[in-house]
Amino acid sequence: MIYVALRMLLGDRGKYFALLVGITFVSFVVTQQSAVFIGLMTRTFGPITDTGIADVWVMDPKVQYIDDIKPMQDTALLRVRGVEGVDWAVPLYKSLLRARLHDGRFQSANVFGLDDATLAGGPPEMLEGSLTDLRINDGVIVDTWGAHGKLAKPPASPGEAPTPLKIGDTLELNDHRAVVVGICKVSRTFQSQPVLYTTYSRAMKFAPSERKLLSFILVKARPGADLDALCERIKSSTRLTAYTKAGFRELTMRYYMKYTGIPINFGTAVILGFLVGIAIAGQVFYSFTLENLKHFGALKAMGASDGTLLAMIVVQVSHVAAIGYGIGVGVASLFGYLMSGTELAFRLPWQLLLGSAGAVFLVSILAAIISLRKVVKLEPAVVFKN
Amino acid sequence: MTSSDKIIIRCKDVRKSYGSGDTRVQALRGVDLEVREGEMLMLVGPSGCGKTTLISILAGTLDADGGECNVLGSDLRALGAREKTQFRARSIGFVFQTFNLLPTLTAVENTAVPLLIRGVARAKAFDRAKELLNQVGLGGRERALPSQLSGGQQQRVAIARSLVHDPALIVCDEPTSALDHDTGARIMSIFRDVALAAHRTLVIVTHDNRIFNYGDRIARMDDGIIMEVRENEALAAAS
Repeated sequence: MIYVALRMLLGDRGKYFALLVGITFVSFVVTQQSAVFIGLMTRTFGPITDTGIADVWVMDPKVQYIDDIKPMQDTALLRVRGVEGVDWAVPLYKSLLRARLHDGRFQSANVFGLDDATLAGGPPEMLEGSLTDLRINDGVIVDTWGAHGKLAKPPASPGEAPTPLKIGDTLELNDHRAVVVGICKVSRTFQSQPVLYTTYSRAMKFAPSERKLLSFILVKARPGADLDALCERIKSSTRLTAYTKAGFRELTMRYYMKYTGIPINFGTAVILGFLVGIAIAGQVFYSFTLENLKHFGALKAMGASDGTLLAMIVVQVSHVAAIGYGIGVGVASLFGYLMSGTELAFRLPWQLLLGSAGAVFLVSILAAIISLRKVVKLEPAVVFKN
Repeated sequence: MTSSDKIIIRCKDVRKSYGSGDTRVQALRGVDLEVREGEMLMLVGPSGCGKTTLISILAGTLDADGGECNVLGSDLRALGAREKTQFRARSIGFVFQTFNLLPTLTAVENTAVPLLIRGVARAKAFDRAKELLNQVGLGGRERALPSQLSGGQQQRVAIARSLVHDPALIVCDEPTSALDHDTGARIMSIFRDVALAAHRTLVIVTHDNRIFNYGDRIARMDDGIIMEVRENEALAAAS
């Protein structure tokens, strides 16, 4: 009877496509909105992901997320280096500084100051120049999004594209000259600010004068060390706080989830898409079942059990769900691919694919349940009523 | 004439009503009926006299409110829902007034449905369905959809479907009322020539008096009871 179920479904092309459109819409909206949400959330902790070399991040206990800088005294670095299990520890400066551009405009930029000796914590990928070029006087490395976007020079003539910042160009950071010595690729930041890397000592010059300037301490654990235990030791012996990479990412993401309207805004869109999808798929499936009710009645009269009819409907729903999900996720992926060079945050991890598959399956089951009730309550004698 | 003296349907004081209170309608008021194995019984009477209700009960698609009904050795009152479903799948063939063919299935697929319900392999079911379509004169139209067939051809597919699983009882509800006279006559000939057999009984509900004479016996119903059951003298004389 599975064969009969599929023939019933596929034979009515109009209804079949209406069902597919409903499920495809749900799949697309749920996947696309969730992917944008995850993309945005990922941007919140982009610098942590980019600084892959550090096993543990040490910071002031009052820090709530990556951009919430509570500077520490430089001596904190020495205290951390003395903790058992620490292989090495380096300072990291991070702050939002004003950059004065070629045309006199100002632009905020995320400035990272790397340990002068090791340059540890630098960008994950260099596109032009090399990390060691930071040792050139006044050198900064600019991220490619910034170089082509907010830090780009104005177009030579009106109507043309801005000229990207390139090696050798200069800009001003807090009235200090900075020379571009490299172009790198980093994860986009949440606020889409340009990212600049320089040395720690040079960053001290760029930064406004303050008593404490050390933002974070990046720690590499000894091989085989238990990272959570190491964090605990650092906390207890330095009165600072320490997180593993994953822990710091989670802390940052939780902050954004709790204190920004992002989850509720995206959650509303996802839930709306889900509900609209249920309404569309449920209504179309229900009308499909209603139109076939007479035929289901005939099958029931001819000896098809409720179980058989239920299996037929489940097969029909599953078929539509599988195809609709495939198309919906495909369109969402294509959307993400086409938008990959834009400001749009889009990330489609396998966990999301599983989750949206679950959501689509749930929508389909709910749609099927609405139809199933009608079929189960159907009297087989209905076939004799014309 | 193929009928024997063996009684395969025995109904006694069968009652059925619909609705409740002021809207209660007594469809069957105590039907007594016996049907012999291998006979074609025409159940006739005016609209609303309870014919369809009675065959619904005989076919196990509707429960009677009271009385006894023994069909093919099964006491229908004693059967549970699942047993009744199995009983219908095994023993009953259906022919409906409006054919009730699945519109997206071809003639051969529609014909094979009762076998597919019983879990017979598709290839085997289709082979058997093709045989039946040949018997009802639709050889070569196996792949036609119902919309590509005339009313008479659709009813022949429905007859083939009712026979494909070799049931002992076929119930037909107004099988000719949607057809013109000539087509109706051809359908009734198919019923007599193809469907009727020594081991198979047909109960045909109709108010089309032009086909009464195809039956071995004619049971006349009115107002929820069987008024009379008479032998078809003309048919008996002819045979």
